[in-house]
Amino acid sequence: MRGSEQRRATVDRLDQPSAYFNSRHKRRRFEKEQRDGDEDTNMQNDQPEEDPLKNATTLYVGNLSFYTTEEQVYELFSKCGEIKRLVMGLDRFTKTPCGFCFVEYYTHQDALDCMKYIGGTKLDERIIRTDLDPGFTEGRQYGRGKSGGQVRDEYREDYDEGRGGLGRAIQAARMREREGRDYDDDMQYGRLK
Amino acid sequence: MADYDRRSGGGGSSYNPKKRRYRDDDDYDRRGPRRRFDAPPHVRVRKQLIAIAENPMRPWHEEVQAIANLFTDNWDDELLRSNFVDLVLQLTVEQPLKTPFLAAVVLVANGNKPEVVDMLLAKVAGLVEENIKAGEWRDVKLHLKLLACLQGCLEGEGVFPVLEGLFERAVDLQTASSEDTIGTEIVKIILLTLPYVMVAAPGQWAQKAADLMEKTEIIASEPHALQTLIEPYHPETGDENPTQSQSLIGLLQTQLQNEANNGWTLACLPRPWEFPLNEVEQRSKLDDAVKHALPTITIPPTVIAGPRPLFPEVYFSVYANQGVESVPPLTNAAASLIRDALLDTINVLHFNRNVTARSLIDIDCYFAPRTFAARATPFDKLRDIEPPKSTWKPEDVAVDAVFSQIFQLPSPEHKLVYYHSVLTEACKLAPAAIAPSLGRAIRYLYRNSPRLDLELAYRFMDWFSHHLSNFGFTWKWTEWVDDVYLPDVHPRKAFIAGALDREIRLSFAQRIKGTLPDPYKEMIGPEKEQDVPDFKFANDDTPFAAEGREIAALLKRKAPDEEIEAVIQRIQSVAIDRDLDALVASTDVFVTCVLHVGSKSLSHVLAAIERTKDRLTSLGAASDAARTQIIAATMAFWSAHPGVALRIIEKLLNYSILMPETVINWALLARAGSTRGEALSVSYIYELVFNTVVKVTNRVRQLAMKASSAPENADESAGSIKQMRALFAAIEDALASWATGSKDEMIETGEGDSSNEKFVRRWGERWLRVFRRRAAIEEAFLVEAEKERARKAEEEAQNGNDGEGPGEKMNTEGEEVA
Repeated sequence: MRGSEQRRATVDRLDQPSAYFNSRHKRRRFEKEQRDGDEDTNMQNDQPEEDPLKNATTLYVGNLSFYTTEEQVYELFSKCGEIKRLVMGLDRFTKTPCGFCFVEYYTHQDALDCMKYIGGTKLDERIIRTDLDPGFTEGRQYGRGKSGGQVRDEYREDYDEGRGGLGRAIQAARMREREGRDYDDDMQYGRLK
Repeated sequence: MADYDRRSGGGGSSYNPKKRRYRDDDDYDRRGPRRRFDAPPHVRVRKQLIAIAENPMRPWHEEVQAIANLFTDNWDDELLRSNFVDLVLQLTVEQPLKTPFLAAVVLVANGNKPEVVDMLLAKVAGLVEENIKAGEWRDVKLHLKLLACLQGCLEGEGVFPVLEGLFERAVDLQTASSEDTIGTEIVKIILLTLPYVMVAAPGQWAQKAADLMEKTEIIASEPHALQTLIEPYHPETGDENPTQSQSLIGLLQTQLQNEANNGWTLACLPRPWEFPLNEVEQRSKLDDAVKHALPTITIPPTVIAGPRPLFPEVYFSVYANQGVESVPPLTNAAASLIRDALLDTINVLHFNRNVTARSLIDIDCYFAPRTFAARATPFDKLRDIEPPKSTWKPEDVAVDAVFSQIFQLPSPEHKLVYYHSVLTEACKLAPAAIAPSLGRAIRYLYRNSPRLDLELAYRFMDWFSHHLSNFGFTWKWTEWVDDVYLPDVHPRKAFIAGALDREIRLSFAQRIKGTLPDPYKEMIGPEKEQDVPDFKFANDDTPFAAEGREIAALLKRKAPDEEIEAVIQRIQSVAIDRDLDALVASTDVFVTCVLHVGSKSLSHVLAAIERTKDRLTSLGAASDAARTQIIAATMAFWSAHPGVALRIIEKLLNYSILMPETVINWALLARAGSTRGEALSVSYIYELVFNTVVKVTNRVRQLAMKASSAPENADESAGSIKQMRALFAAIEDALASWATGSKDEMIETGEGDSSNEKFVRRWGERWLRVFRRRAAIEEAFLVEAEKERARKAEEEAQNGNDGEGPGEKMNTEGEEVA
């Protein structure tokens, strides 16, 4: 079917980048334009920018439990094709997993298939999120939150035992009560060394 | 789960809890009540067409009429006019369950604005022609289905000339070769189109249909030469009732013959173009509507297989022979027609599994009323349904279709995990309705897994464990508890062991143990709960313990290779003194140490391998025995977590530290030999060999494609083909002796453990069949690739002669993957 690629399907596609990526990307482009605006000639700005995800082979994977291992990620994500590289997201300070990772495949198609078939399913009994990613660069494996983990784990009000309980900022305020609860948490998972 | 559900059906927008929280606060409308706003007609028509038939409460004729009128009333809206036809055609291909309803809209619109049908027919005819040329056979079928539904408003014989033209090609192809699959596909398309013609224009075409079916009979009733290759069951020799699956087209032919004998009732097909008797005006308008000529569709003299390799198909069901008919029986055309519409829906909508699952759950919306029993009727209650009413359970019919794909040989259209995800979503959408159906499917498959083709038995295991991982690992294990006491080589015990191993890999041992009744727990030893395996050289009783600890320490502090070399030399000279194979001994120590240093995670071990890959490569190159020892050491170190061992071996193959033959030698000769063949029953041994073969064949395919566009790669491609053939030959050799029981290890023992021996022979047979098929499929691929290359070359030459070609075609395919 010629031209079917351009045409809007009668059903949404699951292998599209998320609104998160799009908005970040747009914002960055906008900022860049603001910055470069003076020097750049209009010519350059008129050129349609190359889609950074056109041949993306990497996925950002989110909402993992802190206790999910590389081996588990491999086991599930290999169902869409051989994995070229896996980078676990780490707490900036403690260097322990903090609930996300980057999975890189050999082909773009495998990455798209992963969006369609694995994003939104469960790993380690949590619904995980996948998003196409332009590619891993050094430094991105660390959480960007104030206390070292992901930003979303700073002020989270719900108690998520797979992600260290309450948001860390809130936890810090409740230091004393916390101790007992953390202990339970470890017992339940039994996987902390 | 909840957060994902919220966007089911859509999936385009991401769910952001933070946003929602803020929205909740100011959702108390600031803007007062939302202003009523009517979308422009082209938007409304689009929306309504896309959602056609989805609402079970709305009578079809009303909905059809409303859309058709909205369309013709706004005929002057140019945007609407141009979009309408395209949208109908797009839906025909993307949501094939809706085709009859779209046709009904077109038929009603024909009463007011006959021009629309001409516009549509011109486009369809063009598309069918294009699709035939490109070998896009499913699109051909889906467009023909639309045309068939419009038969009532077509002049002359309507679609019959097209079907006849197609049949002529099929005959040519089938006479030329008994292994032809395009002709088979064409006959399938003809037979699947025919019923829609018969319901669209009832009573008129019985003779024409009979003539056509008389012709298709010859091809359809003949068993296909390749059918044994794709047979899902692999009965034991001496099985009392070796079920031979029915070929799809053979089945269709007899089902349609039954229909013909009964005046083409085709009770399951919807007829949304039929209006109730009191709608006199609309009925007469439909009867008197203008008829249109279908533009001629030219069929090229040679037709091609298209982008997807074609194979004959068989009908597979997990709900056959249940006592109560929860799915249409094989004698009824409904079995094939419903299945066909569902499979197209499933395979076309791979890009949104939520919508696929929704369509499966709503299956009863798209077929004639009373085709199915009420949704979610428990299986036990089907018995109480009085005869004229249907006992077909919509959930069973839907789930059966998905399973038919998972169990399709040689392989379904999409990755297996897609079909897993469809079942997962369906189960999430309607757990109470779907879960019991899955339960009965699981029981059927478990009971029959010893008779299934081995590749399919493993697909079952893979789906089963993956599915459970999405639903808290809950399964009624108690009902199989007796099988825990079977010997490990028994196929059902082997299934349980393999399934538990895979569950653990997706989770962790302690968690899985907690989901199991006591007897199973013994299958999960304490070593599996240990994240990091013991280092055998920590124990002084192990030979070379001191040297092992020394190398590990050197590796940990990233010492220069010379220091390691010195210890290796020492090990080798001691080994020679002890009359051991020096290379094997030092390889075992070194590899074990690398694994121990990298035991924290896969990244660690990969980094450790990366650092030592020169030494590992030279170890592997030193001797066959040393190379095999690399695998033996890896499997031994990670014996409690074979999944990790398999990943490491995969990477070692990528580094060419190991060769595919090494894997075969270790698994089928060394390991199988030392276990008297019982290793053949172990799921991860199969997985290891299977993955290795897939790796090799993928590479061969990649190189063959590359060579066909750039001849300078021909040598590399030919080399890889040679290696692949040698690999298959080695597998054949090793397995044949297990399958026939002529293996030395089997003869030697002779301890009268004959039942295990029988099991091993059977495992050997099953393995053999899988890899023989893989070999045959790859050979078939190479033949097709060569044909395609020749065809392209010819085309190019012709273009060159005509002087209209763009000159040299540069091929700038993406970079090659390793």
